[in-house]
Amino acid sequence: MTATLTRTVPLASAPRRRRPRSRVAAWIAVAVIGVFGLAPIYWLVVTAFTPDDKAFSFPPALFPTEITFDHFTKLAENEQLFGYLVNSVIVSVVTAFLSVLVSAYMAYAFSKFRYRGRKSLMHLILASQLFPQAVLLITLYAVFSATGLLGSYAALILSFTTFTLPLCVWMLKGIFDTVPSTLMEAAAIDGASRWRTLHQIALPLAAPGLVAAGLFAFVRAWNDFIFALTLTDPARQTLPPGLVHTYLGEFQTAWPDLMAASFVVSLPVIAAFMFLQRYLVGGLTAGAVKG
Amino acid sequence: MRGRKLSDGQFAWLLMVPGLALFLAIIAYPLVSALVTGFFEQSLVRPGRSFVGLANFADLLGGDFWPVLRNTLVFTLGATIAPFLIGYALALALNAGLPGWLRGLFLFPWVIPGVVVSFLWLWIFNANYGVLNGLLGTHISWLGEPTTAMIAVIVTKTWASFPWMMVMLLAGLQTMPKELHEAASVDGAGAIRRFRSVTVPHMRAIAGIAFLLEFIWNFQHFDTIYVLTGGGPAGATKTFAVAVYDTAFKGFDLGHATALGGLWMLLLLVLMAFYLRKENA
Repeated sequence: MTATLTRTVPLASAPRRRRPRSRVAAWIAVAVIGVFGLAPIYWLVVTAFTPDDKAFSFPPALFPTEITFDHFTKLAENEQLFGYLVNSVIVSVVTAFLSVLVSAYMAYAFSKFRYRGRKSLMHLILASQLFPQAVLLITLYAVFSATGLLGSYAALILSFTTFTLPLCVWMLKGIFDTVPSTLMEAAAIDGASRWRTLHQIALPLAAPGLVAAGLFAFVRAWNDFIFALTLTDPARQTLPPGLVHTYLGEFQTAWPDLMAASFVVSLPVIAAFMFLQRYLVGGLTAGAVKG
Repeated sequence: MRGRKLSDGQFAWLLMVPGLALFLAIIAYPLVSALVTGFFEQSLVRPGRSFVGLANFADLLGGDFWPVLRNTLVFTLGATIAPFLIGYALALALNAGLPGWLRGLFLFPWVIPGVVVSFLWLWIFNANYGVLNGLLGTHISWLGEPTTAMIAVIVTKTWASFPWMMVMLLAGLQTMPKELHEAASVDGAGAIRRFRSVTVPHMRAIAGIAFLLEFIWNFQHFDTIYVLTGGGPAGATKTFAVAVYDTAFKGFDLGHATALGGLWMLLLLVLMAFYLRKENA
């Protein structure tokens, strides 16, 4: 009896003793990585609110002593930047709608039907988002310039679709896979056509997934740099290349202004991801959310 | 409705028509056409082209290809291994019972747009007023020296990528049955032993896919490198993406640009074959 007693003592106390220690180690890891991960964001925000004379001093003050909103008011008055913003919104929203519309039908076919060539096509589309943009860009440039689309919104939207289409197809296939086939069979027995089953049963059930896929597409389009840099004229440029041209070409970059602009450009994307938290892993494994 | 007369297979193909048309027009055709251009001498600004066989490839393999391959490999390895290790450590830490909002907090570097990431680190690495030099009390031109420039772009890309690694690996850790760890610790296995014998085997599949995907993305990464260094100084950070872009849109030499692109894609194809096999497994 004494033997069993002494043996139960370390067993019972061992996990209790270990847990705080591993948790302390975990907090230390989080703190170290946290400095690397979050200090730059702190610096972005601090710089955006720092007056120019303080920002351009050496060594820089790590903690702000003076706060200004000048950089943001300057931003709001800049008509050129406002133009880039409008372009970004138009192009990203249209890209998202177009991608979801086209991909939903394709993903539904992939998910709910079995036919020859299905597997190879799915792989081709999955693989296509791993093709380098820089190579695609060369021919897209030639095609758009031959058709007179170069510099138009359409050129940007179509080029963005090269990466949002595969992404949305794979995400939505995953979503449709979770819609039980029995529901569709039931609809078919009740006399609904396949067309009606798709629109009145499957699509409404997949609605949250459609929104998520659309948001991912929006974010990818909003963030794109290489296509927007090359396929547009200055009047149709979106924010990423627009900011590069506005700020980086100058002799002395206006860093606080640029940080304020960066702050503003990031906001819609951050908002989108707050909604997307739940879909994050699914969306990520569906393919290249960010390349 | 008309649809009812079609077989299921025909109906499925009908649904795919818009997507396929788009796919063929903006992905498949441009890609094939680009690969064909590699066998021609063609300029971006002058019309017409002439067939030159393998001359473009021979030019590249006789010189420019190798430094670009070397830069791409250094960048890709660095910018994949570092976020993988940081992301893994963070995922393990967050899985040890820390509050869930921390995950959201760490996503910020990954969520913000790529150009913003580039602007931010350009500012941090700035030689005159940058905060890094401020902390070190130096005036090093980080982006102006070949070695430090490569390290700088790797650090920047690592910063933008480690959250994605964390999310993927954390998802893997969360599917690991707790009983496995409990059983191992009852058997007297310490933390390191449990990590090696329980966690690592369980995570092998997802860690492999996460690593490979990140590797493939870095292999074709453009944004940060282009904004931070433009491939410089003296070509020290010129990777495939930057080299192809510059050859086509600054040198106007489409033949060499697409030939380089073809070689680049050949290497990517090998990686992709690995990926598709893993994805299927």
